Amino acid sequence: MSSPGHRADDDSALLDESGAVEPGVLDREFFASLVENGSDAIISIDEESRILFANGSVERVFGYAPDELVGRDLTVIMPDRFRDAHHEALARYVDSGERTLDWQNVELPAEHADGHEVPLSITFEEHRYDGERIFSGIMRDVSERVAREERLERQKEQLEKFASIVSHDLRNPLQTAKADVALLEARHGEDELFDELDETLDRMDALVDDVLTLAKQGRAIGETDAVDVEAVAADAWNHVDAPDATLDVRDVSRLKADRERLETLFQNLFRNAVEHGGADVTVTVGDLDDSAGFYVADDGPGIPEAEREDVFEYGYTTDDDGTGFGLNIVEQIADAHGWRAAATDGARGARFEFRGTTNR
Amino acid sequence: MMTTNHTATESADSSGGDRPVVLVVDDEERIPEAFALWLGDEYDVRTATDGESALASLDRDVDVVLLDRQMPGLSGDAVLERIREEGYDCRVAMVTGVDADFDIVDLPFDDYVTKPVGKDDLREVVDELLTVREYDEDVRRYFALSKTRAALEAEKTGAELADSEAYESLRDDLAAQEAAVMDDVADLDTDEYEALFRDLDT
Repeated sequence: MSSPGHRADDDSALLDESGAVEPGVLDREFFASLVENGSDAIISIDEESRILFANGSVERVFGYAPDELVGRDLTVIMPDRFRDAHHEALARYVDSGERTLDWQNVELPAEHADGHEVPLSITFEEHRYDGERIFSGIMRDVSERVAREERLERQKEQLEKFASIVSHDLRNPLQTAKADVALLEARHGEDELFDELDETLDRMDALVDDVLTLAKQGRAIGETDAVDVEAVAADAWNHVDAPDATLDVRDVSRLKADRERLETLFQNLFRNAVEHGGADVTVTVGDLDDSAGFYVADDGPGIPEAEREDVFEYGYTTDDDGTGFGLNIVEQIADAHGWRAAATDGARGARFEFRGTTNR
Repeated sequence: MMTTNHTATESADSSGGDRPVVLVVDDEERIPEAFALWLGDEYDVRTATDGESALASLDRDVDVVLLDRQMPGLSGDAVLERIREEGYDCRVAMVTGVDADFDIVDLPFDDYVTKPVGKDDLREVVDELLTVREYDEDVRRYFALSKTRAALEAEKTGAELADSEAYESLRDDLAAQEAAVMDDVADLDTDEYEALFRDLDT
């Protein structure tokens, strides 16, 4: 097979002796061959929606040979529900020049000869030829991508459903176990072991909550908006049980985020600060000096340099009561927004930086 | 008109004392047993392990019911309906492993507590309900709607809440109920007013 990008032999018709491209050699025939053999399906119609031209790829995408399509109405390759809308839109555009949809990379389903729908990404072009207005669609079959996206979405849904079932099924036995601890203590008298057992059960309960949160975070973020960071941080702070701790939000720019996810991010960072920095910890939220993002810092003991890489990992915890999921949730939320999360060197305690934020 | 009834628990109490009466209902029998241990020093606790016997244990003396939702036979939801139909003047908290879904907006409970719950939280729930029962219907309803909203907001994502008509109408009801409470409050003196909001904020 010979193609324009092919390494030229000495007798190449495309290159001159010095290996440069011969001017003018790529003629009409070349373009005809390009259009005919390209992987995208191309169909051109007239003002009445009659098919004037279809390239070779239409057979692969739509199951019709090109000459089966030429002369027919374009709606032959459309699902029924689009037919009227197509005729109206074409007529309106021919009359008024008004476009009812975007002409670049529009995603629409077509109907294959065997009746199944084919998801397409379509770019429309218009030109005049022999005095006629010609409309062309360059159509790429995106079935594989769409199928992959759907598969991923289904997997995420399954994961969330699974996490949800498991966590809920664990809550009842956890309650029974806590009841048993109380009954044992009543029967045998107080014992430190009973307290520890009860705390273990509470920790399992916290894990159940975190697993659910994590499964939900796995989804892409919802709608983003320019949010007031101070208000979100204040809401998150309300969910942190630390009456002696202080939140100090410096002037922070608005930033484009899913408000709810950002609140979860703050909650997990704040809880982390209270767990490690103590009940009277001070947590500061502010803009980075270069305005490329924001930070959350505390005045606790900080994170040893050697461990900073690991803190975001699943199940990483240095605290017997921690679940090890909190900072992993933080990183997932940051990732979903396209931010880079890093544990850095704070002036005193731990400091987490988030870069790559935008404010609109 | 706001009526406060700070002596509500003096009503004829067959068990003799003036301690509030709490009925705990759960089909896992160690749970009512443990709850009785946790609450027994301050309250008279009755226990039941199914819906039918819960209704049999119910009388005018019961102040608070702690009610499991999923039970074989008569479910917690059905028991709750019956309690309301019969017109018992008691506050009911669902204590359940079932996460709040939008259908809870139609359930006439006063509080929604997700298992597992420990001693301190459980006592807080009961104390709060005993406080609320001293206020009139407007305040009680406001409290119940707030708890429904909190249960849903803890469970659902923002997008799910935004899509839900049930949640939207709950918000409307809550706003209307808040207005009703505010109307009532106009009749209160400052001390009563502060006491009300201190109570509701706990």
